[in-house]
Amino acid sequence: MNISWYLTVSAIIFTIGAAGILTKRNPLVILLCLELMLNAANLSLISFSRMWGNEDGQIFAIIVMVVAACEVVIGLGLIVAIHRRGLPVDADELSELRG
Amino acid sequence: MTLSILIAIPFAAGLLGLPFGGRQAKAVSLVGSLATLIIAGTLAVRYDTALGGAQFTVDKLWIEPIGVHWALAIDGLNLALVALTAFVYFCVVVACLFRDDERPGQFFFHLGFAASAVLGAFLAQDLLLFVLFFDLMLIPFYFLVGQWGDGERIKATTKMVIYTLSGSLLMFAAAAAAGALTASQYGMPVNFLISNLQNHALDHSTQHWVFVCFALAFLVKMPAVPLHGWLRDAYRAMPLPALALFSGVLSKVAAYGFLKLAVPLFPDGAADARTVLLIVALASILYGSALAFTTSDARLVVGYSSIAQLGFILLGIFSLTEAGAQGALMQMVNHGVVTVLLVAIVGMLAARAKGSEDLGSMGAIAMGAPVMAVVFLIAALANLAMPASANFIGEFLILRGTWDSASVFAVLACIGVVMAAVYMLRMYIRSMHGPDENDVEKREMSWREAATVVPAVIVVLALALYPQALLSRSEGATTASILDAANGAMVNPIAPEARK
Amino acid sequence: MSLQTHAWLVLAFPLAGTILLGLLRPVLSGKKAGAIGTLAILLAFANGVAAVIKLQELPSESREVVSSLWTYANTGGLDAQLSILIDPLSLLMVLIVAGVSTLIHLYSVAYLASDEGYVRFFAYLNFFVFSMLVLVLAGNFVLLIVGWALVGAASYLLISFWYRRNTATKAGIKAFVINVLGDVGIVLGTILLLGATGSVDFLTVFNEAPQVFNSNDGTLVAACLLLMVGAFAKSAQVPFHTWLPDAMEGPTPVSALIHAATMVTAGVYLIARMHPLFELAPTAQVVGGIIGLLTLLIAATIGLVVTDLKRVIAYSTMSQIGYMIMAVSSGIYVSGLFHLMTHAFFKALLFMAAGSVIGAMAGEQSLNRMGGFRKVMPITYACFIIGGLALSGMPPFSGFFSKDDILLGIGELGGWHWILYVGGYIGALMTAIYTFRMIFRAFHGDPCEEAKSLEAGRLYHAPEHRNPADGTLEDTGVGFPGSKHHIAERSVAMTIAMGVLAFLATTAGVLQIPKISHVMENFLEPTFVGAKHFGVEIDTSLLLFGMGLGTVLGLLGIWIAWTLYVKRPGSAAAIEARFAGAHKLFANKWYFDEAIDFAIVRPFAALGRFGQRTVERVVVDGGITAGPVSLARVSSAAVRSWQSGLLRAYAAAITFGAALVLLYFLLQG
Repeated sequence: MNISWYLTVSAIIFTIGAAGILTKRNPLVILLCLELMLNAANLSLISFSRMWGNEDGQIFAIIVMVVAACEVVIGLGLIVAIHRRGLPVDADELSELRG
Repeated sequence: MTLSILIAIPFAAGLLGLPFGGRQAKAVSLVGSLATLIIAGTLAVRYDTALGGAQFTVDKLWIEPIGVHWALAIDGLNLALVALTAFVYFCVVVACLFRDDERPGQFFFHLGFAASAVLGAFLAQDLLLFVLFFDLMLIPFYFLVGQWGDGERIKATTKMVIYTLSGSLLMFAAAAAAGALTASQYGMPVNFLISNLQNHALDHSTQHWVFVCFALAFLVKMPAVPLHGWLRDAYRAMPLPALALFSGVLSKVAAYGFLKLAVPLFPDGAADARTVLLIVALASILYGSALAFTTSDARLVVGYSSIAQLGFILLGIFSLTEAGAQGALMQMVNHGVVTVLLVAIVGMLAARAKGSEDLGSMGAIAMGAPVMAVVFLIAALANLAMPASANFIGEFLILRGTWDSASVFAVLACIGVVMAAVYMLRMYIRSMHGPDENDVEKREMSWREAATVVPAVIVVLALALYPQALLSRSEGATTASILDAANGAMVNPIAPEARK
Repeated sequence: MSLQTHAWLVLAFPLAGTILLGLLRPVLSGKKAGAIGTLAILLAFANGVAAVIKLQELPSESREVVSSLWTYANTGGLDAQLSILIDPLSLLMVLIVAGVSTLIHLYSVAYLASDEGYVRFFAYLNFFVFSMLVLVLAGNFVLLIVGWALVGAASYLLISFWYRRNTATKAGIKAFVINVLGDVGIVLGTILLLGATGSVDFLTVFNEAPQVFNSNDGTLVAACLLLMVGAFAKSAQVPFHTWLPDAMEGPTPVSALIHAATMVTAGVYLIARMHPLFELAPTAQVVGGIIGLLTLLIAATIGLVVTDLKRVIAYSTMSQIGYMIMAVSSGIYVSGLFHLMTHAFFKALLFMAAGSVIGAMAGEQSLNRMGGFRKVMPITYACFIIGGLALSGMPPFSGFFSKDDILLGIGELGGWHWILYVGGYIGALMTAIYTFRMIFRAFHGDPCEEAKSLEAGRLYHAPEHRNPADGTLEDTGVGFPGSKHHIAERSVAMTIAMGVLAFLATTAGVLQIPKISHVMENFLEPTFVGAKHFGVEIDTSLLLFGMGLGTVLGLLGIWIAWTLYVKRPGSAAAIEARFAGAHKLFANKWYFDEAIDFAIVRPFAALGRFGQRTVERVVVDGGITAGPVSLARVSSAAVRSWQSGLLRAYAAAITFGAALVLLYFLLQG
């Protein structure tokens, strides 16, 4: 099968994720969209790995999954912490770092 | 090896005392400073004057890829200054024994750190090593002013650090460039050893901007007019022991930098910038003195007077004569010792005037403190370069050297000599003499206060009786430092023979 | 002991005295400090005498001995040894300094007895003598400068001895700063000579000078003029004289010792010591002669109107030093030094007597309040008369011979020196007037309250102590004068000191009488044998004319003073009113203080204030510090607006940035 199909799917998922991050204000949804983007990248990695017939891409994909897992843990933890303090769960409101 | 140990001791003493409370930290630092003083003294005695040159050398390749050496040595130039540093560090530690600073462990650590950095800068025989130590000196003072300072200490710290840091970054860039450009010009591996750089002169145009960068760094650190903007705030905020160390030795590193690095390594640059630097020196003398005799803050009198004194030192160096350079070196040591005394006296005055350092709130202290009055008088007279003090010999040599090569500057600098008399006596009279109107405590020096000033008084008197002890050791080294630049500036560095 | 040992001991005793007094201060009670101080100086004097005897044993041509202890500073073409030069000139000065000092120490033992700073006073006084002896014994320029500056410091300490008086501290700093100015002159002069001759050693420089310099060589004239700045500052010559009258704030023995007999004559010594150089620089000699003349006339005119007892004597000191400067600048060294010596005797005597009067007046110094002390203080009165006659140059007192010797020598020179000759005699007339004006006003006329009190057998003590200069209230603790006052009539030590000086002031003239006695000339011959006008033949008619004129002018002056202040007491005020302009000029001391204040002090103070207030704020804080700071601030403000804190905005920036990069590579490819 032509690799371009896989890449097309990957690109579509990535774009959906990116668009979600840019448009949504709920951190939870942003986190979901981030996962989409990461997995889109994973898909590309694995496709290329298949294409060249070596395992480097797969290893990378697994590492990305691990990182993604960690990141989700931290991200969700942050969201819970924000919620607990009674702060608005809204990415635009959380602009404490404005210079 | 001895020299590496010498550098390490103050730092190690500070580090060792860090985890402990007051008494242990004090004890460790006292032992450390005493050891430093003894080692420095021994080296000064063991230095073979007849042989001259660099002795007790240490030279190891330290950072191989960029050719930085851990190279230390004692030569005629830094011998006295190393001894001075050890002495000032000792005096400062003794003075601190009787203070109740917060977090004494850290306080002593920073003092030791500073002393080590200064010693390193004096001993370094590698350009980058010097730059490293030069920048390291700043770190402990950042904390000393920022944490233990008075008044607007944060503003003062920031100002001081940014001022001096911008200078030293320029110097760092210039030093790196000097090494790299020398290497490419002569087609050899990069090497920052000062002796190597001295043997391989950079081409004329490069020397210019490299020299300017070095000069800026040193002028800020001294400080010279008009780069003294940080001094007033920093002096006011600094705790007194730190001030003694800072004013006593750190400013000398800058002056030493001119004599050891900027002038001998980039003689063409030095020769061409000579007039500008002479003007800066003169401006520092006159303007610093004028400020000193209009301020009523005792601490600032000391501060502004050191601008003026460093102006004299700069004048001596850039007279580019043997006499001038010898006088400058002599003045560095004298001014270091006298500053320690003066700073201690400012502390004593403040202790009697309910903590105020304003001269207007003092008066008639001599009534109850004749010994203190004598000590103050000795310090004041030495600082105004009273003949019979070693400062006079230094100033005389500076004026003589300047007269030989730039007579106008010598004559104008004399105004500074007279002004020094005004501001020092003014400070003395307004605090010790005059009517007893301000209800100051007129008590004699306590044993503790005496312990901090007596060593410095002894050194001042000893140098006054036998200044030759300093002069004979540095003669060859100072001449070698300014020789190339003098040739470049068409100045005869050696005193002309009698015309017959 | 050898000559050298004696000479070094001359220096060692006063130094040891200073240190001993300083260290033992807490345990010395009563008059022990005075005894130690006086003894130290007496021993120095004894060693001075011994040194003179040893020196006279040497053949005349080898009476120049240099002795060095160690190398003081040797580098960069400067070779300064810690060396002294022992020759007739230096030993003459040693004898004068140590001798007069011994007597003044003795006087002070009683005079300051009730002062809280008794020990400190003797420590300072010993230190002064040590410094002065360093000055006169110095064998090279560096040591000379050391002594020169140390006497300045000692003088400062003693002027400000009553340091809680604002007037005293002001006078002290003024004296010190003007003296530092003089030091700078000598330092620059030394640097010039060092540059030209390659040495700072006196004898070497003197030997080299004729080979190195042509007559009136520019460098040499400049060097001599610079040395003269030092000499004028120390010897209170116009325009560097303003500190001397103010220096009268010091205790009276200080005025006697430092500001009359010894330190202020250092300038005369300096020019005499440097005579081989000055002889090669006639231009400098002319300047010295004219300045001397100006000083002697200006000071005499001020002396005519000043009402402060001590200041009258101070101006007279200035005036007399003017004679000496005139003499040594004209090459009449022996006469100048002779006058230096006799002046030391009679002026110290006058000051001591004045101290006695001030004691009787309980610290008051104004002539306006004095009167009628003649009967109640006969010893003091006698001393004043002897000193006054010597000062006015009346035969047979010492001042007659020495002043006459100077004017005779100057007259012999002829040419333009006649101006100096005439001026000198005008000065002599004024001297007699102001001296006897002072004496008549203090001792004749109606007795004042204090004199009456003394007549009743009780020394007057003011109910409250005030500073005579500005009237501020004082206590009698340390830093102010003591509670008790002392007069010669009631103190043996003071009487002895004054008696010895009175004897010397009367008889010292016999040491040098033209055509009769030549003790001074013979003694000083080894030093001045090469000088141009040394031992020239004297014109008898000029000699007789001068002596006659001097006597007549002296008598005339005394007669004028007698008429104005005793016979017709109101007439002085009438003359003042008649010549109001001149009186105002003299009473305001020719406005020198104001001129210096306007030309020097204010500009520097203004510079300092301008620097403090304006330059520091505008240029240093504003331009140099604030420039880079505001640059950093503006540029950071520009970048800061990007940091919105909006997560999605950052994400968008990353996305579009990445897209742009991608696009770039696609287009490239």
